[in-house]
Amino acid sequence: MSARRASALREDSSSSSDEKQFLQRCPSTNEYFDIAFKVMLLGDSAVGKTCFLVQFKDGAFLAGNFIATVGIDFRNKVVTVDNLKVKLQIWDTAGQERFRSVTHAYYRDAQALLLLYDITSKSSFDNIRAWLTEIHEYAQKDVVIMLLGNKSDMVHERVIKQEEGQKLAREYGVPFMETSAKTGVNVELAFLAVAKELKQRVSQQPNEPKFQIHEYIESQKQKSGCCGFM
Amino acid sequence: MAADVHNKAVPWETANGSLAPVERLRQDRCDSPTPGLVEGTEPGAGQDSHMFVHAQSFEDLTADGDDTRAEAAGSENTSRLGEPADEGAQGLPSEEEQVEEKESHPGSRAKEEDVTSEAWRRHRKHVFVLSEAGKPIYSRYGTEEALSSTMGVMMALVSFVEAEKNIIRSIHADGYKVVFLRKSPLVLVGVAQTLQSERDLSRELHYIYYQIISLLTLTQLNHIFQHKQNYDLRRLLAGSEHLTDNLLKLLDRDPGLLLSAVTCLPLSSSVRDVISSSLQAAKAKNLVFSILLAGSHLVTLVRKKDQYLHHMDLHLLFNLVGSSSSFREGEGWTPICLPKFNTAGFFHAHISYLEPGTDLCLILVSTDREDFFNLSDCKHRFLERLRRRTAYQALQEALKNPSYSVSQVGIPELRHFLYKSKSSGLYTSPEFPVPYQSEEEQERIMELYQYLHSRIHHPTRPLRFIYCCGESENLLAWVTSGFELYLCFSPLGTKALAVSAINKLLKWIRKEEDRLFILSPQTY
Repeated sequence: MSARRASALREDSSSSSDEKQFLQRCPSTNEYFDIAFKVMLLGDSAVGKTCFLVQFKDGAFLAGNFIATVGIDFRNKVVTVDNLKVKLQIWDTAGQERFRSVTHAYYRDAQALLLLYDITSKSSFDNIRAWLTEIHEYAQKDVVIMLLGNKSDMVHERVIKQEEGQKLAREYGVPFMETSAKTGVNVELAFLAVAKELKQRVSQQPNEPKFQIHEYIESQKQKSGCCGFM
Repeated sequence: MAADVHNKAVPWETANGSLAPVERLRQDRCDSPTPGLVEGTEPGAGQDSHMFVHAQSFEDLTADGDDTRAEAAGSENTSRLGEPADEGAQGLPSEEEQVEEKESHPGSRAKEEDVTSEAWRRHRKHVFVLSEAGKPIYSRYGTEEALSSTMGVMMALVSFVEAEKNIIRSIHADGYKVVFLRKSPLVLVGVAQTLQSERDLSRELHYIYYQIISLLTLTQLNHIFQHKQNYDLRRLLAGSEHLTDNLLKLLDRDPGLLLSAVTCLPLSSSVRDVISSSLQAAKAKNLVFSILLAGSHLVTLVRKKDQYLHHMDLHLLFNLVGSSSSFREGEGWTPICLPKFNTAGFFHAHISYLEPGTDLCLILVSTDREDFFNLSDCKHRFLERLRRRTAYQALQEALKNPSYSVSQVGIPELRHFLYKSKSSGLYTSPEFPVPYQSEEEQERIMELYQYLHSRIHHPTRPLRFIYCCGESENLLAWVTSGFELYLCFSPLGTKALAVSAINKLLKWIRKEEDRLFILSPQTY
């Protein structure tokens, strides 16, 4: 098992000294992986962060009552990117104000941040600027940020147009797409794009073209259906 | 340290084999009770150290702001039965009345309720939390917005009485008790039609108060209101309403919150010792408490030397775990203030289930907010160590029957009981038998226990012993300095039978104590 992985790694990575430390065992899932990254989900309370994560991890939608996440919830998922096993250590954070101090403490460890708002809630969209300010204050300088407009299935309750999200994302130079934790639209893509980007940063060869996360998601993302632009 | 040392040391069996000569007790109730009934030697008493902050009962909770026990007989108007209560048989409040008052609330939060409706008024117990500026913070039923004028009136009542340099404690009218708890900068109000005493209602309001403190710390709460008197605290408490809702439900249903005690998963002491020592070995520098739970039962608790957990803080942790499904999957990490430990600061708790699909939940409490990975590592070390031992299978086996049947005791008339060892702060209770399996029936029997508790712990006329006959069951309660015992008998039983059952039950509990209780608590 591990030998095969190591050879897979050799194809992708030029530095052979890094190989051994990539081969680790993930204790909670007992799955082998080559490389691990920390991803954090951020955004106001009730924008659907936990549902977004559960859709990605288990392919299910948490219907029913809203249960607020307490503090931070930590889960792992191993995905395959270009034959490489990438373990994503995902921090699902509570959106409530009183947990800010605890989330701040974990910002700087994160290599990628998925920042969510709810397309049916103006305040969650308005707060994105405040979130980005916080991110710049606490997170690593080279952190990968992605802006996500969640609940794209709720076309009738929509109050934030896709263009508005797009515009805000362009202003801050971050990739953007609309997602639905309920139907699963673009959920896996968001994580995979982040995983690809992070993987490329680690194992980039000098002559290899730089991975373009913007172009990648533009080419891969599904539009939120025909009524999406109404 | 061996278990039998403990047993030998206790002069439990008296010469005539009677544990508690009730007749004698009645005559000289002021004299010291029979050995074995006193604190520290009762069944279930811990051997060398206690797990919990030593708390006789709920007195310490109400001590602040409570009057000293007046010796003079209190006014009788609080007693719905009209009879001044001493020991002896007594009628229970009529059943019809209770059934009529009973309201079945759906599980979800009934927020959209019309607060002017009759149904809203008929709820058995309302709880309101407001700021000193009269701003609504929490209401059990109905939205806070709709109730802002009601809460304004409550604050006006509080202020009016305070203006005369006095404190409003309660209002008794028309079958309702309105109990006020002033905990600056908050005011808590309970409106109940239950049989509970003002004191027990106030104890419940304390729980709600500490629940709020556990989320924010008192320091932060004071800071906020010093800076902005009319702050809307709901902003900071957002998402925690279900914790308070669930806590109120537990107060209605969980005997542990009534008895100020915790119940253990029945487990042979050798198995429990292996689990405790595995937990003990998985320590970290800043770890203060390691708690293993199975549902609402404690499996084991390991603490730092000289650091004690208060049962109330443990109940708040139980409530947090029990009302959040988010710990089921991943590993949770949250700041939590344990208000009976320290109202000023946060601990940080690592909360996770041992394996997917199990009821075993591990709570690791640390002082360092950046300790997540250390504690995550502790959990894995504990689990790996435990998996190698046969005790793990025994534990899994025990989880299938987290409770036991009352028939094991061998007293046919006995339907249910609660037994609390005061010195260990632990209680034991069988599962509810056939007539009490519905939620309504369980709440009804719990309310009767609450009633007995209120009578026993009456602030001005405390009782030692009470026997009540009702239409559906007969109840008996007895407290000594060592334990509290509440028994529920079939309505066909007699008082003599009930009294003789005590003896038999206590012997049974003594025999089973190393399974039902944690006799030798561990430290790191």
